[in-house]
Amino acid sequence: MVRRAALKPLAVILAAVMALSLAACGNSGKSDTAATEKNNGAAVQGSSSDKKITITFQNIYPDPTTPSHKTLNELVKQYEADHPNIHIELDTLNTDQQKVKLKTQAASKEVPDITIVNPAAQMKPFVDAKLFAPLNDMLDQNGLKDTYQSGLLDYYSFDGNVYSLPDGNNIEVVYYNKELFEQAGIANTPTTYEEFLNTVKTLKAKGITPLAIGEKDSWTGSFLFMNILLRTNGGPGFLQDVMDGKKTFEDPAFIEAVDSFQELVQAGAFPDGATSIDANAGGNIFKSGKAAMWVIGSWETGAIDASSVAGKVGAFQFPTVNGKGDPDEFMLAPGSAFAISANSEHLQETKDFLNYFALNFPKKQFEFKNAVGLGQKVDGDLKAAGYSDLAIEVAELFNNVKGGDLAFDNTMNPATAQVHLSSIQNLFVQKVDSAQVAKEHQAAFEANKE
Amino acid sequence: MKVLKVPAGTIAVFVLPCLLLYVCLVFVPILVSFYSGLLKWDGIANAEFIGLANFRDMFANDPVFWPSVRRTLLYALASMLEIPLCLWMAILLHRYLKNGSRLASIYFTPVILSVVIIGQLWKTIYNPTSMGGMLNGVLVSLGLDSWTHNWLTEPSIAMYSIYLVSLWQYFGYHLLIQYTGVTNIPEEIYEAAKIDGAEGFKADRFITMPLIVPIFKISIVLAFIGSLQAFDMVMVMTGGGPAHATDVISTHMYNSSFLSLKYGYGSAIATFLVAVCLLFTVVINFFFNKLENRYS
Amino acid sequence: MLKFKKGVVYLLFAIPVVTQLYPLLWLLFYSLKTNEEILDGRFFSLPNAPQWQNYKEAYEAGNYLKYLSNSVLVTGVTMICVILLSSMVAYAISRFRWKYGTVVMTVFLMGMMIPMQATLLPLMVIFKNVDILNTHLSLILPYIAFSTPIAVFILSGFMKGIPPEIEESAYIDGASIYRIFRSIIVPVSIPPMMTVCILTFITIWNEYILAATFISSERLKTLPFGVYTFVSQYSVNYGNIGAFLVMGALPVILIYFFLSGQITKGMVAGAVKG
Repeated sequence: MVRRAALKPLAVILAAVMALSLAACGNSGKSDTAATEKNNGAAVQGSSSDKKITITFQNIYPDPTTPSHKTLNELVKQYEADHPNIHIELDTLNTDQQKVKLKTQAASKEVPDITIVNPAAQMKPFVDAKLFAPLNDMLDQNGLKDTYQSGLLDYYSFDGNVYSLPDGNNIEVVYYNKELFEQAGIANTPTTYEEFLNTVKTLKAKGITPLAIGEKDSWTGSFLFMNILLRTNGGPGFLQDVMDGKKTFEDPAFIEAVDSFQELVQAGAFPDGATSIDANAGGNIFKSGKAAMWVIGSWETGAIDASSVAGKVGAFQFPTVNGKGDPDEFMLAPGSAFAISANSEHLQETKDFLNYFALNFPKKQFEFKNAVGLGQKVDGDLKAAGYSDLAIEVAELFNNVKGGDLAFDNTMNPATAQVHLSSIQNLFVQKVDSAQVAKEHQAAFEANKE
Repeated sequence: MKVLKVPAGTIAVFVLPCLLLYVCLVFVPILVSFYSGLLKWDGIANAEFIGLANFRDMFANDPVFWPSVRRTLLYALASMLEIPLCLWMAILLHRYLKNGSRLASIYFTPVILSVVIIGQLWKTIYNPTSMGGMLNGVLVSLGLDSWTHNWLTEPSIAMYSIYLVSLWQYFGYHLLIQYTGVTNIPEEIYEAAKIDGAEGFKADRFITMPLIVPIFKISIVLAFIGSLQAFDMVMVMTGGGPAHATDVISTHMYNSSFLSLKYGYGSAIATFLVAVCLLFTVVINFFFNKLENRYS
Repeated sequence: MLKFKKGVVYLLFAIPVVTQLYPLLWLLFYSLKTNEEILDGRFFSLPNAPQWQNYKEAYEAGNYLKYLSNSVLVTGVTMICVILLSSMVAYAISRFRWKYGTVVMTVFLMGMMIPMQATLLPLMVIFKNVDILNTHLSLILPYIAFSTPIAVFILSGFMKGIPPEIEESAYIDGASIYRIFRSIIVPVSIPPMMTVCILTFITIWNEYILAATFISSERLKTLPFGVYTFVSQYSVNYGNIGAFLVMGALPVILIYFFLSGQITKGMVAGAVKG
């Protein structure tokens, strides 16, 4: 009797081993186990409207005080109320957790119905593995496609198919605290790198941290560095040229960018111990009025307006470097994007929901005072809707955008990007020969070329 | 003492449920992981069998790998060196207090706290002077301004700062193990020794030490394996940065697998990690068996 | 002189009390402060006025009770299974006369060397194929599996030290092996079982990588996952984070102090005698 009770779970486990050995041989790209149905048995019967359907929506908006969190939850609630047979299961994670989780899920072809990916190079491995459903047909419904800014969807398209829908489209700007500038006796915002360095030094001399940053999450430093490179290269396209074999990382433009960046570090621009501060905490240094400037994506506008420095903050374009570059060219940050699993059991229902979600997303964001950096056109006047001066200022910067570059990790493959990120992180803690940095980049690029 | 002769079926009932679960969920996955170490695979698609190329890259071409191995072994060494201190404290506790176990339990508390809490706490201790870090604050108030550092971000210091946190956290753990060992030594032995004129440190040298060897070994093995797998602590404190200055084997494995999307390569590192664990455990066992034999 | 020596020793005992208990106190103060007090950066200071609403807000924002009950369920089931399964194996290893005892023991000991992160992806594949992803089973099973090595290690060490005479005579008298196990071995093995309980509890209660990866439904998520998400993303109010950390640590602390009398008895009780 004891024995039988003990053996039943064993059967399950033996099945597991067999299943595993099958799976281990079968990671060649096709999902041969599509027949396995969810334990949620109601799911199977297709789309007859009285069947209860669950759609899993993996997202990265856990902080209930942010507009994005509110937008998401309100839209989901509304949709569930309108479609009583549909339940949207929210899997809310923070950014790091979500990245690792999605990669683990991708390995077993178990991508949730809706998930979040970053544009271009970062989503390419998933698209190559055919994990995402093309959304072209869905974009044509209800005129969704026309709501997106022209060209934006290109970052999410491969071979003519759109695979995900962005939650925003931002640019990198320099936020500054007017009060602290005044305290340090700085009248004008810098327009050249020389002025920028002088501003940094003046602030530093007054005991004010010049630039906030949280470099434990190394993308923050890279984002700033890339803006310098955008200038020293005299315009966008450096990384693309490297990938096309027209340039190498040992190009003078890259070396000049490293040198300029190091000048900034040497001038004491960043908080002490920057590499152990995570991105959130780094932002809080600025938002709590302890740092004078913050070079970051325009997505922070809403959060700054909700912080204790609201009303004291302005924004300006990143200066030219050694007379090179055009201030109207920006680091572009097309947002994280919603993608649908190609193996979703309820592909049609999921598409319908995402269509509704994406159509209403800009309106809700507008209501929650988060319309700066939206990737979609939205009716309404910021000023009339009571947006802050900062929001209007940033929105005007958008009107000047002439072009720009994507972040490093959105352009190069992940392995190269990781080398780059830690190489830039290293500049925060020690002076390095810039030729050496260039060499390191080039070696990593060549080693990880497809 | 293996005294009971029981039918094979009974043995199966006792052993198989646990063994199968364990083999399927720990052993098989790690074997699969070993196999993945032979692939060039991003973890998503496009697996390609490349034999031992990952290992060649690891040993010959990866500038992060060997330093991370060195840091890991130093980590292990530091944790093991702490144990004699724990033993000494345990002996004192036993000698001077009637109910030393209460104190031992108090020393144990950092072990039960999640690494998230420990990380937050020690970050505020290690913070730079400008952010009000305690350690620097104390140094400044002692007039030792030149001794202040950015403890977690200076590449030459950061790793030692993390070692220290681990030593602090596991002090109570090993002390408790040693303390239990010490209290389990029968009083009569000491009394007999006292008659022969052995007391205090002499008694420790000739009675406590030999009898504590098995417990000592447990502590050493646990400390060794624990520090080889140290992961959460490093992730929370520095994430392996700045620029890999605090990367250990396990964080390097994790970053390679999930950030650089070189899952095959990360698996090769995992293989190496398990192999090192095994090798050293065998060595430690061998060493202690010799030691035990000498004493008995 | 003797008195002086005693004083030094007591001082020596007191230092770790301060350093090891300090974090708890620190956390408690932290959780009761305002943002300004925390950012002020002073290391040791009492909160000016205890901010109890930090707890209220953290409780409301953090889905605490749901996470807590899930954690209790997962940890509870895991601990019961670990105790039961590993004590059976430990008994077989330390007492039965059979060929493969040492092999089995070695296999289990090797498990202590396997890093959990390296098994994440294979486990995902297994669980997908037996279709238990996004259920508590997908946490309980690996938790049991990863806890058994140390449990078997501690329990078999203890059981080797139990004098075998009682069992032998009971066996000769015709008692079944299950009965001997239930009514002789289990009762005397309570202290090491407590140790195993505490060690298992600590590891599992704080585990979040598997929890974040295998569970997707909000209603199934566990507390450490909640704590981790809360800490790394809920950026506005540090006091709330502190309050949530305290609430997350509270069950462990309570259980620990409730059982800590047992842990010293059982930690490695058998290894010395055996």
